[in-house]
Amino acid sequence: MSSEAQALLRLSGVRKHFGGLVVLNDVGFSVAPGEIVGLVGPNGSGKTTAINVISGLFRADAGLVSFAGQDINRLPMFRRAQLGINRSFQVPKVFRDMTVRENIEVAAHCGSKRNTDVDAILDDLDLAALAEKPAGSLTVNQQKLLDLGRALATGPKLLLVDEIGAGLNPAELNGIAALLQNLAARGIALIVVEHLLDFLNRITARVIVLGAGRMLFEGSLDAASRDPEVVAAFFGS
Amino acid sequence: MELLEYAIVGGILYGVFFSLVGIGLNLIFGVMRIINLAHGQFIVLGGYVAWLVSRHFGFNPLWSIPLSVAGAIVVGWPLYAAVVPRLQRSDDPEMLSFILFFGIGQMIEALTGMAFGADQRSLPSEALGSGNIGVLGQQFPDSWWIAAAVSVSCILALYGYFSHTRLGYATRAIMADRDEALATGISVDRVSAIAFVAGLALAGIAGMFVPYLLGSVSPDLGGELTTTSFAIVIIGSLGNPLGTVIGGLVFGLGTMLMQTYYSSWSNVVPYALLLIIVLIRPSGLLGKEARHA
Amino acid sequence: MPDDSLLHKLRPGALVLALLAAGFLLLPHMYGNQSLLFTLMTFIVLTQGLNLLYGFTGYLPFGYVGFFGCGAYATSLLVLHAHLPVLACVAGGGLAAVLMALVLGPLLRLSGAYFSIASLAASQILYFVVSNTNLADITGGPYGLKIERVFAPDASYLAMLAVLLLTSGLAAYFRSSRFGMELRAMKQDPTSAAMAGIDVVRERLIVWLVSALVAGLAGGVYAWNLSVFYPDAVFTLQISVFAIVFALFGGVGTVIGPIVGAAVLYTLYSAIGISSPQYFQLIYGALIVLLVLFLPGGILSLFTRRGIRVF
Repeated sequence: MSSEAQALLRLSGVRKHFGGLVVLNDVGFSVAPGEIVGLVGPNGSGKTTAINVISGLFRADAGLVSFAGQDINRLPMFRRAQLGINRSFQVPKVFRDMTVRENIEVAAHCGSKRNTDVDAILDDLDLAALAEKPAGSLTVNQQKLLDLGRALATGPKLLLVDEIGAGLNPAELNGIAALLQNLAARGIALIVVEHLLDFLNRITARVIVLGAGRMLFEGSLDAASRDPEVVAAFFGS
Repeated sequence: MELLEYAIVGGILYGVFFSLVGIGLNLIFGVMRIINLAHGQFIVLGGYVAWLVSRHFGFNPLWSIPLSVAGAIVVGWPLYAAVVPRLQRSDDPEMLSFILFFGIGQMIEALTGMAFGADQRSLPSEALGSGNIGVLGQQFPDSWWIAAAVSVSCILALYGYFSHTRLGYATRAIMADRDEALATGISVDRVSAIAFVAGLALAGIAGMFVPYLLGSVSPDLGGELTTTSFAIVIIGSLGNPLGTVIGGLVFGLGTMLMQTYYSSWSNVVPYALLLIIVLIRPSGLLGKEARHA
Repeated sequence: MPDDSLLHKLRPGALVLALLAAGFLLLPHMYGNQSLLFTLMTFIVLTQGLNLLYGFTGYLPFGYVGFFGCGAYATSLLVLHAHLPVLACVAGGGLAAVLMALVLGPLLRLSGAYFSIASLAASQILYFVVSNTNLADITGGPYGLKIERVFAPDASYLAMLAVLLLTSGLAAYFRSSRFGMELRAMKQDPTSAAMAGIDVVRERLIVWLVSALVAGLAGGVYAWNLSVFYPDAVFTLQISVFAIVFALFGGVGTVIGPIVGAAVLYTLYSAIGISSPQYFQLIYGALIVLLVLFLPGGILSLFTRRGIRVF
């Protein structure tokens, strides 16, 4: 889809297994700056593993993971974060005993951009009023936002968003959708893992469908819903 | 050749006994993810029970086995109720239990010191038969064979419990996946309490033989017994009680071989084994691959 | 409001250092038992050094005493064989402990209890090697070492005070610097910290080396002060145990917690523990149990719970 020349992130032939269980098998796609790509698939299809391989929590067993033209598969997480890859977590991982502001500050000081505006991020996420509260006292949804804020504070070029929509009400979902589109408009590439297909349809032009670790489909979400292989993967065969 | 045979037969006997020394620690960890750092001190208590039974009251020290079991119930049940559920609700049960049971161990050590004095106590060797039994021409005292036999019996009993009783099935289910066991309606608390008491009872039984295999028992022996148990348990993989038998044998053979050929270095064996194993294979020799979500 | 001016950040640390220096310079004039004060300083250093690692990274080294013994032996061997000034030998002791920590660096791959037990095993191995009769020509084996040639109680007292100030200064730095904030983040969630761009492995190793350094220096000065010692005196696990109990009692992750914990409990120890060690052992055993169950933040958390900020 997107031309190889302008790709920011490129995966090809990526394979990951745990013991005898193959979790990712020959996965390959690329993402361009400013693009929002959806990653969908049934539970256990390898979505989060794909995010983990890109962000460096795991290393791919085979295949290529390159970012801005550089092979990053052997780089540890913090190096990838400094290069401009960041992520949020399905279960938010905030620094519970630090204040909301400190959570953002830590990332702002160690990330790729040294002059991050902490207050602007707090405003963007509607967390300014909670800035001096311990992060552990926030609701799960607020922690999800803070998790995203921690990622943004490092000044990412590629942002991996893992199921941020679950548990949000429609108004909150609208807010997140607008925020993600706004980030993309600033040139940040996004990969969004999501079960809420409506939400995805609104913000993505392209989705990648995984099933049992393989790529089943790449294209628009509408086209995906008519693809027999995708339908079989979602509804069982 | 003589020496090697001696070391191997002795190492197996010694190792089988040390499987019993370690197995209680592992059972408690496997079921509760609680590290009983007072394990060695509970073993020492078992040793003193045997000492009281034989030196003070003049009975055969084997009578201390039922007494240790009774003592484990009397001490273990309230102790379980007082600390374990509370620890399991905390952020980091493993580390907190480690520190808490370290404190309990220090208290036991202090109390045994006050009650029995700091001296080393030994048991009458003739109480368990004064002869030797030979295998492959190697003679070992009767007490060593009895210790090994009791150890094998305890391990077989544990194995039977796991594989032939409802509670044993439930225990294994909890070891495999605590949350799932809770969800399927297993009474995790009751099964855990039984495992906790059983862990202490096994420590107490092992304690009875400590004066025979290590020469004597004293209050300050607990720490060393705990680390040795930890080494054995880690060699066989933490959380897998039957792996402890492998750990015990590796430790027993290693110690006996060192004692035979480089005796001045034999006290390094458990610590060196522990370091090597945790660095090469943190999950132990029999450990599963680390699980991933 | 967070005030980031340098002066504001330095003030609490400077105050702690000034009080410690004034206290330990004046106390010998008011209270005659200088060797007891010396040992108290030694335990504050070790408690604080252990706090640097445990309080700021969550790694609890049961074998912490290994670095202390390592420093004591390296310093003494340098005094015996290198004919350097004593202070250079003490520095060598600190360096030896750092080298030992580098060798043991892979232990940091282990987590929680595995790390604690493995570090204990390492310190025991070190003890058995040093005290082994086969090495008596080098280490003195079970008979220990004698460096009475350089015996100097007053100079070594001041040297220990310097080590104490260094250690407390390091703790103050950890408490108030950006580096310390990164450590706090790592301790709470290493994955998230890495995703915030922090080199978790490197920073953890730095703290490990620093905490080994202060224990090594303390061991060196301690050997200098004793000037005749058996291996047991500098390798006994009791030293690790005391440092852990004192730190937990005062409150880890703070600067003054370990100082208060060590001062209070060591005073108690010198009052009752030396004559009847079993009573003291029973007391601190019970203290550990109570602290874990009811006051995991140590006695200082009695203040923080009431909203009083503790440095």
